[in-house]
Amino acid sequence: MKTSKTTSSNKHDIVQLKNPKTERYVKIDRTEGKIVSHKKSPGPYKNIPVARKSK
Amino acid sequence: MIIYDPLTGDAITSSIKSQPRHCFLMTRLGTPIPEEVKKIRKSIEKACISRKFVLIDANSMITGRDFLLKIWNLISSTPISIGVSHEGIPTKTQMNIYYEMGIAQALGKATIIVKSPKSEVPSDFVRTEYISYNNTFQKNFSKYLDSLDALAGHYEEIAHQLEKDPVLAIDYLRRAFLITGNKALKKKAREFVNDAGLYKRARNSVELLAANF
Repeated sequence: MKTSKTTSSNKHDIVQLKNPKTERYVKIDRTEGKIVSHKKSPGPYKNIPVARKSK
Repeated sequence: MIIYDPLTGDAITSSIKSQPRHCFLMTRLGTPIPEEVKKIRKSIEKACISRKFVLIDANSMITGRDFLLKIWNLISSTPISIGVSHEGIPTKTQMNIYYEMGIAQALGKATIIVKSPKSEVPSDFVRTEYISYNNTFQKNFSKYLDSLDALAGHYEEIAHQLEKDPVLAIDYLRRAFLITGNKALKKKAREFVNDAGLYKRARNSVELLAANF
């Protein structure tokens, strides 16, 4: 089960995950299958859903 | 993942056998070995055994072929590379250790430097994690090994989110597999291959080599 959000502006399915090594969130574009960015400061990106653990 | 042969410059188009739950140790192997370096090795080995990791080094495998290529293969086949930095290690050996550390980082391996308090780390490695060899070493190093399980979980989750880029997703699964040894990840990689229609590719294609871990 994954949580994701499709923004109406660009129709891209974007989620975020916390990297345990850096303790920073990583933004992933599921539509294009790519890592978009790494957050520089602590805490999650605003308005981007956190992906739940896949089974 | 595409790995280039350091001797020929051409891509390696044969499968490198995975060694999950193995740590590749980069340290002084030839004599004389400083006493404290011997102790560091023993401490690393003790922590690895307690966390069900197997510690190997460049002498663990005899190929009869090129030594440098063997090092590349060992680093590629394992999830973790551990470099020892000690003032008693000859400069030439220490340079080799840092060269191998660089290979490991380029190949996406978890890397850690175990350093004596007096040894100095080159500036390119100041952002590389290190653990000092002191009274708290055993505790800190065991903690580091424990943290790798969380990292493997992260890699697996990234793979699931990157299904639209199957080769990259498969590579993340491979990295998770090397840390955990969980065979379900191999099965998942095969599913990615099938779902993306990659099974039609040549057996030694980049895609199928990546999935054959």
